[in-house]
Amino acid sequence: MTADETEQKQLLDLLLAVAQRDREAFRQLYQRVSARMFGLCYKLAGQKELAEEALQDAFVQIWHNAGEYHEDRGAPLGWMITIARYRTLDLIRSRRPLKSAGDDMLNQVADGRWGPLEARLQQAGATALTGCLEQLSDTQRDTILLSYYRGLTHDELAHALNSPIGTVKSWIRRGLMALKRCLER
Amino acid sequence: MKRTPERIESLAAEYVLGSLKGRARQRFERWMMQSVRVRQEVWFWEERLGQLVQAVPSVTPDPSVWIEIEQCLWPSPKAKAHQKVSWLWPGWSFLATAAALVLAVILIFPALDDEAPRTQLTGAVVQSDVADPLWLVSEAAERNQLRLRSVAVVEAERGKDYELWVVPVEGNPLSLGVMAVGDVYEVTLSEEARRLLSSSRTLAISLEPRGGSSTGAPTGPILHVTRLYEM
Repeated sequence: MTADETEQKQLLDLLLAVAQRDREAFRQLYQRVSARMFGLCYKLAGQKELAEEALQDAFVQIWHNAGEYHEDRGAPLGWMITIARYRTLDLIRSRRPLKSAGDDMLNQVADGRWGPLEARLQQAGATALTGCLEQLSDTQRDTILLSYYRGLTHDELAHALNSPIGTVKSWIRRGLMALKRCLER
Repeated sequence: MKRTPERIESLAAEYVLGSLKGRARQRFERWMMQSVRVRQEVWFWEERLGQLVQAVPSVTPDPSVWIEIEQCLWPSPKAKAHQKVSWLWPGWSFLATAAALVLAVILIFPALDDEAPRTQLTGAVVQSDVADPLWLVSEAAERNQLRLRSVAVVEAERGKDYELWVVPVEGNPLSLGVMAVGDVYEVTLSEEARRLLSSSRTLAISLEPRGGSSTGAPTGPILHVTRLYEM
């Protein structure tokens, strides 16, 4: 068993105990994974307060829904991270103005929060997906990674990358499908 | 919109990435409720894109976050007195936000007057390891009636019943009664229940002692929480 498999097995045991309403297991689970989950929430939200709220909601949700986890959902850590990520995106979007092309957003683009993704993230992301990201064009890869790590919508990506929205949509769509073909190989 | 395999594949990827939003996202969530094939496609992407998180540095959250989680799940009586009403129904603030979002979208349009046809809500109660929905929910707007047709749900354990609740955006849930299994459960919504449901669009089902909760609030485990959609 690799170190990762051992860890996933331990997380699975904790999650099963949480499904049985074991509070101590829940506390241990939080200690084991909260920093990794919070790292992503923080990266996505770009601010501590919202990231904390998302993490808090995510764990409340994990407590209630632990019984719904099953192996088709992927590894336990991935399942929990997915919950935290969706929750962060929900919070970000509910707090942004509905009309997305407001001044606030243009300022945020200008201050660099949505600037090009750090090279480190790009590289590490590529390794994680078994080299498949490298097979995409630069724009396909950037739009996918900016959506994943920064939670940018089509509108926001079009602003950030100074490209028409239709073009951005097609980069993402084609990029994702190319990624899938590669991952399935 | 037709559900071709190509479209499911592409929408699932965008759903997980988060770039699918608004009405398209809601419509896709409805597809997810109705089809295990769609859900599996979503899980594929959740797992694969989830690997991207390895590249993000861990950040230890403040200890206050854990304290908040515990307070939210198991409020101590002392702290409870100082909290907002919504905390009495712990753990559902995330649903409330989702509902508030729907409400915010609706508010852009001119307020509906009483003459205008009301929207009809629909939805399904699903469980991830069961292919068919447990219950299908539909609403007959004119008669203020909510119907739940049981599909794949199994009898509650001996001595227990399923109880249906409206979960408001804020405050305590409102009981819609105990549901028999293997049948259609119809309930006429009171004005208050209709109002709460139309803003939160959230229902919950809890497991209660036979005959239902005697306290007016859920006492057993919350088995399912579901959001309804406009038809």
